[in-house]
Amino acid sequence: MKISGAYTLPANPERTYTLLQDPEALAASMPGCRELVRTAEDEYEMKMNLVISSIQGLFAGKIRVADKEFPARFRLIVEGDGKIGFMKGEGVLTLSPVDGATEVRYDGEVQVGGMIAGVGQRLLDATAKYLIKRFFEKMRERACQE
Amino acid sequence: MATTITKTETLVGKRIRRKEDPRLITGTATYVDDIQMPGMHYAAILRSPHAAARIRSIRVEPALEHPGVVAVFTGKDVEGIGPVPCGASLPGLRVPYHSVLARDRVYFVGHPVAVVVARDRYIARDAVDRIEVDYEPLPAVADPEKALEPGAPAVHPEWPDNIAFTYHQEAGDVDKAFAEAEVVVRQRIVSQRLIPTALETRGVVADWRSGERSLTIYSSTQIPHLMRTLVAQALGLPENRLRVVAPEVGGGFGSKLNVYAEEILMGFVAMKIGKPIKWIESRRENFLCTIHGRGHVDYFEIAGKRDGTILGLKLKLIQDLGAYHQLLTPAIPTLSVLMMPGIYRFRNIRADIIGVFTNCVPTDAYRGAGRPEATHGIERMVDMLAAEIGMDPAEIRFKNFVRPEEFPYETPTGLSYDTGNYAGALEKALEVAGYHQLREEQKKARQEGRLMGIGISTYGEICAFGPSPATPAGGWESATVRVEPTGKVTVLTGASPHGQGEETTFAQIVCDELGVDMDDVVVQHGDTAIVPYGIGTFGSRATAVGGTAVYYALQALKEKIKKFGATLLESDDVSFSGGVCVCNKTGRSVSLAEIAAASYRAAKLPPGTEPGLVSTYFWEPPNFTFPFGAHIVVTEVDRETGAVEIKRYVAVDDCGKVINPMLVDGQVHGGVAQGLGQALYEQAVYDENGQLVTGELTDYAIPKATMVPRIETEHTETPTPVNPLGIKGVGEAGTIACSPAVVNSVVDALSPLGVRHIDMPLTPEKLWRLIHKGGQA
Amino acid sequence: MIPQNFEYEAPRTLEEALQLLADGSAKPLAGGMSLIPLMKLRLAAPERVVDLGRIPGLSYIREEDGAIRIGAMTTHYEIESSPVLKARCPLLAATAAQIGDMQVRNVGTIGGSLAHADPAADYPAALLALEAQVRLARAGAERTVAITDFFTDVFTTALEPGEIVREVIVPAETPGTGVSYQKVAHPASGFAVVGIAARVRRSEGRITMARLGVTGLAAKPFRAIAAEKLLEGSSATEADVRAAAGAVPDGVEANSDLYASAEYRTHLARVYAARALRAALQAA
Repeated sequence: MKISGAYTLPANPERTYTLLQDPEALAASMPGCRELVRTAEDEYEMKMNLVISSIQGLFAGKIRVADKEFPARFRLIVEGDGKIGFMKGEGVLTLSPVDGATEVRYDGEVQVGGMIAGVGQRLLDATAKYLIKRFFEKMRERACQE
Repeated sequence: MATTITKTETLVGKRIRRKEDPRLITGTATYVDDIQMPGMHYAAILRSPHAAARIRSIRVEPALEHPGVVAVFTGKDVEGIGPVPCGASLPGLRVPYHSVLARDRVYFVGHPVAVVVARDRYIARDAVDRIEVDYEPLPAVADPEKALEPGAPAVHPEWPDNIAFTYHQEAGDVDKAFAEAEVVVRQRIVSQRLIPTALETRGVVADWRSGERSLTIYSSTQIPHLMRTLVAQALGLPENRLRVVAPEVGGGFGSKLNVYAEEILMGFVAMKIGKPIKWIESRRENFLCTIHGRGHVDYFEIAGKRDGTILGLKLKLIQDLGAYHQLLTPAIPTLSVLMMPGIYRFRNIRADIIGVFTNCVPTDAYRGAGRPEATHGIERMVDMLAAEIGMDPAEIRFKNFVRPEEFPYETPTGLSYDTGNYAGALEKALEVAGYHQLREEQKKARQEGRLMGIGISTYGEICAFGPSPATPAGGWESATVRVEPTGKVTVLTGASPHGQGEETTFAQIVCDELGVDMDDVVVQHGDTAIVPYGIGTFGSRATAVGGTAVYYALQALKEKIKKFGATLLESDDVSFSGGVCVCNKTGRSVSLAEIAAASYRAAKLPPGTEPGLVSTYFWEPPNFTFPFGAHIVVTEVDRETGAVEIKRYVAVDDCGKVINPMLVDGQVHGGVAQGLGQALYEQAVYDENGQLVTGELTDYAIPKATMVPRIETEHTETPTPVNPLGIKGVGEAGTIACSPAVVNSVVDALSPLGVRHIDMPLTPEKLWRLIHKGGQA
Repeated sequence: MIPQNFEYEAPRTLEEALQLLADGSAKPLAGGMSLIPLMKLRLAAPERVVDLGRIPGLSYIREEDGAIRIGAMTTHYEIESSPVLKARCPLLAATAAQIGDMQVRNVGTIGGSLAHADPAADYPAALLALEAQVRLARAGAERTVAITDFFTDVFTTALEPGEIVREVIVPAETPGTGVSYQKVAHPASGFAVVGIAARVRRSEGRITMARLGVTGLAAKPFRAIAAEKLLEGSSATEADVRAAAGAVPDGVEANSDLYASAEYRTHLARVYAARALRAALQAA
């Protein structure tokens, strides 16, 4: 499934770029993230407890940052694996300055497998958008705080 | 002698309510899941979430530590059993080793990886979640055409081209036909993957008696005897130490014409743990792991003359086989080739099948099994040819039908059609539908801007599988008829009916031959310990082949009845009819019950006669049968939304002689409903990574009662000489006829917009795009 | 299809239930038409389920002071067949009649449906058009929220942990209000691919009030306020209807799935808005 969209964060591209790769900010913004541990340069492992209304799933996840071009773009790879299925999202985030803030465009693809792929397709699109929105809203809060 | 009553009423041909129904509709029938045994354990299966992956390691300890878990088995534990059998053979067929549990690799989502055995099903299911499998996901391919592209992921690494087999058949002079053609029409036609969706999912109970060294397997199957042979082989057990029971079976549609990993696996587990074991498939497992149907991409070319004469047909058939061969997987597309000429006279055909492995669950027989695809193809192509030359679709059919005087008719694919009156069926359908008036209405509708369509499909069927030389495991059927000492009649049939109603139709045959009441007859089936070896119920064969075996068993039995009657009446000139044996000289008579009692009492045996009244007959049919018919569908497409409304559905079917018209109508209704499913709603969708994204009934739409229109059923009756009852079979006809009639109708509705073909399912969005975007769906 | 182990409580009073739910860790069970399937698929695995089905007094439909109060445990069938609703709030009865199938309607409840907040559920369209109020309860406290504030996102509502839907309040219609719910049902699930509830009043040839509730189209159900504004004051011509229907999906990010792309859903929203408006206007 292809995903794309854009959010504006209230910080300049340099700060936004740093914020979006900051382990603490990632831990606080990844929906359901319980724990985030750095395993290598630009690589993290996390535990997630994703809750959307009645639906709940525990995932062991990985985050990887690649193809870094400060402060214009980078690639973000998020993977999760749990009993109810697995997911892999990979996208390029492109940052461009807009009136003192930064527009973050994302273009990527999400793959899901297992139970969530088999029974969830009707809601996958809306759910993916919702999780991305939650991520950026948390990031926006953080950008405002700092 | 007591007073005897001669029964004169005959039951064959009457609308008689099914003997099966009271137990089915009151919930008192016994299905696999209703079987309970002391000490019974339960199995749950861990299945791959990946379409292709290497298994790096499996850690079963956390599951074993779960209280109540008795055992966990993985691929390495079952190396001595299996493989899951493929019963079809084709020259050069590549057969991947189909282990009962995955070994170092998984090949489709749902591939069984481990089985947990626990003291209740809840514990078993919980423990499945505790098994840790380390998978290394590999690239997968789910689309058969993509699988043929160079560089596509190899489903089985040993065969990088993903081709399991190719098959060529040719007759006449195809090149000449196409060279001489005035018109050639080409079309790619997809018969999408479907999920059979029997109401009852599969289920297995296995019970090992170690003292007796005997195993009993209860399975929701269409073929208990074949299963016994094949599962015994897979388990290394002498066949006479295995008993297979098909209790009540809640529908199969071909999906239970198979031997699956689970039957072998549960036999293995029962023998290992020494306790009865039960496994019941969930609906989700049923979607992922029970065979799918269809899965064709067909490239058709039809050659014709401007006067409507069809000259020839070419077909390149790409069959999505899935990851393995189940029992008949590779044979199914060959049935499509057999039936590709339909009921038309042209002699020039060429077919090439490419059987392709994909990372999907295997395809196999699903109601119609190869014939719906063939019929869809030829009926679409005939319509397209008619459209190309501006001819009425009814007229082009009349012009090309095999004529009544040409039977038996040898087809270019090597079949011998028994009897038929194709024009007669179409004429009747046109008359019932009011075809000419419908065309007038259509003109008016089009002037009003409404999208009204009329679609015809005239189908031919191959049924009553079949002569043994043409089938992989014998095509005969067995029957035993036993008159018990009290005169009650027990029938044992090797056909294993599972919803078709043979307990009723076979009883009707018995009643007419022996003059007993319906209530006096019990038809038993589905237990290899009770019933002599038989083949099973599939391919619209149970009544035509199994019923004929019953008929012949009855003829022999009647001879014996007369012998006992003659002895009792002390006469050498007796006749038997209506349940009474009469001395033709004195008029004295004895009833069947009296004869039965005397035959078992055996105080005075007729010379050279054994005691008892039992007769067994194994009937080998000399040919298939070839039912046919014509369906006409009137549709209207909502121009704003693309939604299809079925305004009329006319079905004229000719299945030869009819034993019970009510059951025939029921078969047509059910068949049409499943055809509508394919035409309008159903599609098993795998995404590009091999995930089945229509994995539940929330996304996979099967037609519900409210979605099926009223079906106007009519019949013509052209008996077959293949069997003495003249019956041909009707189980699959509705499904075969329906989908091309619906698609032809909708294409007709959209033809003013330049639409010439639409692939199934005809979803509203697809049609909306054709209407509003002028683009391809 | 076997859920994980869970504790099951069946309290006999609302107070007891709210106490059990208070810390937010337990899941309330109403009709179970969504929760039970999710549990069987193990997509939901609550450790404790509090069944509201044994509590008397949560299932009712009664008219009071120009409003109709519907208890949270009232089933879809009771709503569909209620003489009070049929006469006084026909939009809600008509909407309930289009939910799922008969079996679902016999068991599923309005409170459960709202709390689950499936973006393709039917009720929200009608309740938005009706400007319903939702009474929420938790241990020791109650509050009432407007339906527009109740749905916050996909599967997400204003319900706080420990809080349940207690009652739904809809207006008793005044004569001359025309209503209609028009839905494209998914052929498998029966959920609304798009569902539009229209509610209009007119006076002297002009539309004096128009409400349009939309479900299935977006992550959450919404009121098409721009379209309502176009209608109000208009003389309800076919052109007015088309213009308003055309505006229904404006600015909305439409859902997309196997059955209907975002583009097709958006189109369906317009077509069905027009159909719902025509039917409502005819009844007004």
